[in-house]
Amino acid sequence: MQAINLALNLDEIERNFPENPLDYFRGKRLCLFKACLERYFPGVRWGLQDLLEELELKTLFCANQSCCSGTFFQRNLITRAQFAAINERNLSEMNQLADIVLFSCNGCYNSLLRGREFLKNPEVKRKTAEILNILKEKRIKTNYPNKYEIVENFSLKLVHDLDFLYLIRNNVLNSLKFDLKGLKVAIHYGCHYLNLSRDKRNVETYLKDKTKLDELISLFGGHPIDYQERESCCGWGASQILINPRSALEITYNKLKSAESVGADFLVTPCPTCLYTLSKPEYREKMNNWFGKKLDIPTIHLNELIAILRGCEEERCITLRRKTPRLEEIFEIITKE
Amino acid sequence: MDRYTDSNWNWDFYEELVDDVDENKNIIQCISCGKCVGFCPAKIVSNFNIRKIITKVLRGDRSVLKDADIWHCYLCERCVRVCPKEGINIPLLIINLRNESFKKGYGPRYNDLRKYVEMSERFLTNGTVLEDPLDGGLSPERIEELNEICNFARINYVFKASRNKIKEKKKKNHNFNPN
Repeated sequence: MQAINLALNLDEIERNFPENPLDYFRGKRLCLFKACLERYFPGVRWGLQDLLEELELKTLFCANQSCCSGTFFQRNLITRAQFAAINERNLSEMNQLADIVLFSCNGCYNSLLRGREFLKNPEVKRKTAEILNILKEKRIKTNYPNKYEIVENFSLKLVHDLDFLYLIRNNVLNSLKFDLKGLKVAIHYGCHYLNLSRDKRNVETYLKDKTKLDELISLFGGHPIDYQERESCCGWGASQILINPRSALEITYNKLKSAESVGADFLVTPCPTCLYTLSKPEYREKMNNWFGKKLDIPTIHLNELIAILRGCEEERCITLRRKTPRLEEIFEIITKE
Repeated sequence: MDRYTDSNWNWDFYEELVDDVDENKNIIQCISCGKCVGFCPAKIVSNFNIRKIITKVLRGDRSVLKDADIWHCYLCERCVRVCPKEGINIPLLIINLRNESFKKGYGPRYNDLRKYVEMSERFLTNGTVLEDPLDGGLSPERIEELNEICNFARINYVFKASRNKIKEKKKKNHNFNPN
C-alpha cells in the first residue's frame, strides 16, 4: 500500500509555499471532521469554519461521516479490523467530497491515522477487506461505486487544526481584531497530540518538544506560562474518567492546580475531549469535594480563542453548554478596546 | 514484588499474544529501564506498572490477565514516546491483554461497562456517541453499514444486553405490579 500515512506533509508545503503557505489550500476542498464532543462546544467547529470562510477557503462537512469509534476500540468493544473498517468507510466517504480533512480533536485525528496504520498488518488488512466485502454482498444501497474496498491510494490528506493554524499563522494574525494583552496562558496540548508518532516523518520531530501552541499564543500577544504538569494527561484517559472517576480526576486536579499555582489566567487546548474534562462543572465540583480546593481557572479551545480574538460575537464563539468558570471574564479582558 | 529466577522463563504466553497481535513481538526487546513507569499518569493514581506487566508476560505468568491493573492504562502513548527502544507499542500490548482477559471471562462485567451502554446504542443508531449531534444522525443505509461492521463485536453485545436488561426490568415491574 502506497498511502498508509495520510497525514498532510507540512514540511513540503512550507518548502513549496515559503511566502504564504495558505496558497497551497486555495481551491482545495477542506472538510471539517465532526468530532462528537463539539456538540458541547459548538464554537470549536464554528470558530474554524468562520475563519476559513473569511480567508476565502472552501469548507464542507461530510454528512455520511460517523464517529471515529476510537472510544470503542480503546475499550476492546470492537476489534482492530472492525475499527479499521469503520475508518475506511469514513475515509472513503470524505474522499468523495474533499481534498483535505481538518481535525479539532486529538482523539479523532489519532483514530483516523491509527486505523490506516493497522492495515500495515496483513492479517488485519485481510479481515478488514472481508468485513467490507460482506457489506458489498449485502447490497446495502451505496452512494458511489467501489465503495466497499480498501483504497490503496487516497488523494485525501489529514491535518490537525493546530498544525494547520500554525502553518497559516500570519494569515490568522492578520485576521485578528484583538490581542491577548499579555495574559498568562497555560498550554495543554493533550496526549494524542503530544505523544503522537503516526503523523511524524522522522524520530527527531517526534521526540522534540512541541511548541506550536506556545508560539501561537506568543504571536497573539499572550505569555505562555511554564507549569509543572504541562505535559500531563487531562484525566480523560480513554474514558478512565467514566470507569475510575476518582483517580482520573486526581490527574485533572493536579493539572489545573499546577496551572493555577503559577498564576495562569486561563488554559488553552486544541482538543474538545480535553476541554470537556478540564472544564465540566460537575467534575470541578467533584474535585472540590474530594481534594478540598475549588479550582476556577477558565479553559478554552484554540478555535474558540481565535474566534474571540477576531472579534466574533460572544454568543457564537463561546456558546458553551457547559460553561467554564470565569470564561466571560477572559472574554471581557480580551475584547476591551 | 514477585521474584523470578531463570527457570521461570516461559515463552508460551508471549507467543500466543504475538500470534494474535504480531506487532507485540517487539516487547522482547524491553530492557526494563522503567522510563515508561516514570512518565505514566496511571502509575501516579493506581498500581498500574507496565514494567511489571511486561515482566509477567515474558515469564509466562498468565495471572496478569486477572489483574485489575491492566484496566487502569490511560492509553496516552507517553510510554511509546519515552521508550528508548524502537517499536515497543505498550498501549497495543495493553489492548491485546485486555482482549485475552475478556476472552477468558476475567474482563469487566456488564455493570462495569454500563457507561458504554448508551454510547454503544447511540453509535449503532445515530453514528455518534452523544445524543442530539450538531448535524443530526446518519441515514438508515449508513447506519446499516455500521451495524454490519459491528455485527459480532462486543459493542453489539453491550447494546443488546442493555436492551435485554431493560426488557427484563419492564417484565419484572409488570409482574410485581398489583394493578
